[in-house]
Amino acid sequence: MIRILVVEDDKDLNYVVCSFLKQHGYETVGCLSAVEAYDVMYGNPVDVIISDIMMPEVSGFEFAQTVRELNSEIPILFMTARDDMAAKQRGFRVGIDDYMVKPVDLDELVLRIGALVRRARIASSKRLTVGQLTLDAEEHTAYLQEEEIPLTVREFNLLYKLLSYPKKTFTRAQLMDEFWDADSASGPRVVDVYITKLRDKLSACDDFEIVTVHGLGYKAVPK
Amino acid sequence: MSEGFNKRKIGRSLFSLRRYIIFFLLIAFVVTVCFLLFFNFLDIREEDVHNAAILTFGNVLLLSFLGATFDGIRHKYTVEKPVRQILDATQRLTRGDFSVRIEQPRDVRRGNEFDVIIADFNKMAEELSGIETLRTDFISSVSHELKTPLAVMQNYATMLQALDLPEEKRVEYARSIAEGSRRLSELITNILRLNKLENQTIFPDVVRHNLGEQLRECILAVEDLWEAKNLELEIDIDDVMVEADAELLTIVWNNLLSNAIKFTDKGGTIGITVKENEQWAIVSIRDTGCGMSVETGQRIFEKFYQGDSSRSSQGNGLGLALVKRVIDIVGGEISVQSALGVGSTFTVRLPKSV
Repeated sequence: MIRILVVEDDKDLNYVVCSFLKQHGYETVGCLSAVEAYDVMYGNPVDVIISDIMMPEVSGFEFAQTVRELNSEIPILFMTARDDMAAKQRGFRVGIDDYMVKPVDLDELVLRIGALVRRARIASSKRLTVGQLTLDAEEHTAYLQEEEIPLTVREFNLLYKLLSYPKKTFTRAQLMDEFWDADSASGPRVVDVYITKLRDKLSACDDFEIVTVHGLGYKAVPK
Repeated sequence: MSEGFNKRKIGRSLFSLRRYIIFFLLIAFVVTVCFLLFFNFLDIREEDVHNAAILTFGNVLLLSFLGATFDGIRHKYTVEKPVRQILDATQRLTRGDFSVRIEQPRDVRRGNEFDVIIADFNKMAEELSGIETLRTDFISSVSHELKTPLAVMQNYATMLQALDLPEEKRVEYARSIAEGSRRLSELITNILRLNKLENQTIFPDVVRHNLGEQLRECILAVEDLWEAKNLELEIDIDDVMVEADAELLTIVWNNLLSNAIKFTDKGGTIGITVKENEQWAIVSIRDTGCGMSVETGQRIFEKFYQGDSSRSSQGNGLGLALVKRVIDIVGGEISVQSALGVGSTFTVRLPKSV
């Protein structure tokens, strides 16, 4: 079972978040301060951390930073009343994975935690599986039912990103940002070429398709 | 303390000893000089001189008194009266009575400095009362907007306490409470944001960025919303570079997009274009929604104005006020063309460089 640590100094909010997550099949540990959270984590590792920013003694930023120094993979989600860009930037700089502004929609929180867990699994196993297709991030290889599909590094990275976030549309620039070196002179339209090639190479795979969102970009939609 | 001081200072009588002495010295000096100049050469008997001197002295005393009194009257009407009016008015103003105006006795152009002061004072009082009206309107709108969702939540919470409540009712009431709190939180966020923008505690952080890409990202951020309504998107976005505060501009795009989605019925169309000319980047967001009348179009950028009250539950009337404020800060322009039942087009023009 997935263990979620909720660090939030408001008792009621902590309670309601914990019980909602429990209803959705997660195991939760509520802590009212970062110090308490350190104790909990020391004895028993957790899978996901939800943390407030403004807390007495140790702030969420310091807490996240300390956690990151010890463990670079555990997903951290900030749940805070601060909605300014400065706080978000600082949060992502210390290494958090997601950010939600209070008051949070609990349904959305559950969705986001699901996605965080999923990506953490992909990141730790370095393998992504969609139906018959398996992508191995370490070897940069793709297999469709044991049969290897030859992909270039760029094609592989593109596909990996699209499949890591199913049903999410990326703009061409976003798809390029991740993998292309800064000196690449080609415009965002070069993505179209790679997508065409990918569709061609994956024509035998009918577990998902790469959909063009007109004027915006591409997304991978599992069938 | 200062008020008492002011009152004492302007409460002068018609006759003042100081003014009398000044007049006396002046007249006495003139008379003495005349005597010395003209009578020195004449051979007059000392007895006559003595009699005349007493008479002249009396005369000087009387003339000084008359002079001082007339000056006092003149002073009272040309200086004290306007000063007293101005002082009274400023005192009422400082006590918070913004309706006070000073009567203007004559045209400013023919009057003296006091008339100019009075005219300026009246203008100042008018501005202040305008701001005061805005503030009271704002507060009453805010409290109304705050109280409505609160009332909804309170009532549904009361209804939830009923013992034998069927399951579907319970879920429905709970959903209404959640909806009310969502509205409340959206409203508070907007009020805080608007307040920050109006007090200029936010200073634009100008960076050169790709406006087209920013629009695409904003559109994708609300992908769920337009997909849920099955809206068709007609997108014609060029990659236009602008120098502006990117975070502030996202407020504009998010509000305009969510409005377009909100007011367009299922299956409708939203068109988004980003184009440029030499000076401007031009963003237009078009919908095939319910549209609005000309009068509504003129007022939509006002705080808490909501064109169609039947849709008021979906917004808080602050979105476009925020948009306008941001556009003003970044030095752009916004316009709207709309027709009832046909749809609306919002066009934003931003200077490409500052």
